[in-house]
Amino acid sequence: MSPAPDLSMFNRFMVTFRKGDIIFCEHEPGDTFYLIQSGRVQIVRIIGDIEKNIDILYPGEVFGEMAILEEAPRSATTIALDEVKALEFNRENFEVLMMGNPAIAMKLLKLFIKRIYDQKRRFMILTLGDMEARVADVFLMLAENQSIDTSAVDSIDFKTTVDDMAHWAGIPTAQTREALNHFVAQRRIELHPDRIVVKNINDFARFVNSRRKHQEK
Amino acid sequence: MSPKAVQYRANSIIYFKGDTSDRVYLLNSGKVSLNYIDIESGQEVHDLIKMGEFFGVKSGLGRYPREETAVVLQESSVMAFTPAEFEQLAAKNTRIITKMLKVFSNQLRRIHRQVQTLLVSDAQVNPETGLYKIGEYYLKNKRYGQALHAFKRYLVYYPSGSYAGDVTNKIVQAEEFVSRYGAAGPAASASPRDARASAPSFDEPAQASSGAHSEAPRPEKAAELSDTAQGYYNAISLISQGKYLDAYKAFKKILEAGSGDEYGAKAEFEMAKCLFHLKQYDNCVRSFSTIVQKYPKHPDMREALFFVARSYEEKGDGAKASGLYKKIMTMAGEDDPIVRRARKALKAMEGDKA
Repeated sequence: MSPAPDLSMFNRFMVTFRKGDIIFCEHEPGDTFYLIQSGRVQIVRIIGDIEKNIDILYPGEVFGEMAILEEAPRSATTIALDEVKALEFNRENFEVLMMGNPAIAMKLLKLFIKRIYDQKRRFMILTLGDMEARVADVFLMLAENQSIDTSAVDSIDFKTTVDDMAHWAGIPTAQTREALNHFVAQRRIELHPDRIVVKNINDFARFVNSRRKHQEK
Repeated sequence: MSPKAVQYRANSIIYFKGDTSDRVYLLNSGKVSLNYIDIESGQEVHDLIKMGEFFGVKSGLGRYPREETAVVLQESSVMAFTPAEFEQLAAKNTRIITKMLKVFSNQLRRIHRQVQTLLVSDAQVNPETGLYKIGEYYLKNKRYGQALHAFKRYLVYYPSGSYAGDVTNKIVQAEEFVSRYGAAGPAASASPRDARASAPSFDEPAQASSGAHSEAPRPEKAAELSDTAQGYYNAISLISQGKYLDAYKAFKKILEAGSGDEYGAKAEFEMAKCLFHLKQYDNCVRSFSTIVQKYPKHPDMREALFFVARSYEEKGDGAKASGLYKKIMTMAGEDDPIVRRARKALKAMEGDKA
């Protein structure tokens, strides 16, 4: 949580949100992204009847950055947790900011690197034809994201839900539940309301790899 | 500590796919190829690195396994940077990063699109329904300010969407709650962003009223307001259904009732807009001119001018129209929605001529 650098010359891009304000809604088209100057921003997704907290961002952090790529729908809702002051940028003016601020440019560069990697990883999951392999691969991805060395451990406790798994696997919740139930029956996982325990992550790694190899042929 | 220049012979390997290392490379001289399998086509791709070009940046800075094998084709001189060295260099030469940001944003756009094409078939939520459901969620959980925001955004994007009528009613409902409780109520209050964000015109009443009762709730006034509000939003709903004549009449009623509050002025504005949609361009121009004279500092001046310009365009007076579009473009930042529409309209006009 480094303090925000001095960006007073960008005051004309400054926007203020009051505590409780929605900054943008999931699904709405977006063409702006934000750099928080003060206050906290909560990122949530509404899944079924629950508002799921994805993250809380602090001054110096960037959000909504996917918007400079294309006017794709926002993938989450953002809410001001305090009074929030943020610099608002779009595709046209973000270069101005980057030129004068190597530190922010570097931050954005690293963020892009992470997003590219995440998207590639997601793509790899989605190319699996076998739905159970997709669900298993989502577990592998979650383990990678938590930097868990799968060669050193077997059992992993994931703070995830069926809806989350469905989202990442790109398959309907009912079908995801079916795949998970099958894993439960095989005693490969334990299913809890707020977490899923994978008993042997390496077994899943072998399963996914063999499906992927099989597909390549 | 400074980056080292390393000499490589032809046919040697700088790194293999799957290697993990934090080095970022710059090709000084020679010829290097990055070999990898394209994840979409499954084909092997050979990308030649140009002299002066960086490679291994994503895997180096992100500390991900290398995604390609870097093969030296001809004797080459390569600089190897640690992340700290790379950041130092980039801090002095921001152009390096902005160039990379462009390359990476293109890559990200491409992979993002690829992911989206795989997603269309199944679990994708239709954005219209998604937005509606967000409003529903916050309304159900008595977070009226947030519900109001989501519903209003819905009407901006889907003015004649399948939930438009329902959304309009729920806005009235949510607004009543917000006005009853004010900012101190159980829910966060209606939330105008700064003026620059220029919410759609029907956002105004909420903006104006939230200020009025944010300090102390005034229940009698609120009930009275909500009657006018009900009428006003019903009329907005008629617009969203494309029933411009009915909407015009409904707004006229509000104006004639002369409650003197901000809804009267808003109704007058909406009536002028209806005239445009009813193709009564002369009347539209006249109405907006009256409004602009009456309220020289009207918050929706740009929108008013935009409709006047559109009317001139429809009437075939391209010179007046383009003059007005140009004027609108000087009135706010280029990311202002009306400015954007003016620019688009101007472009379209110029395109017609070409």
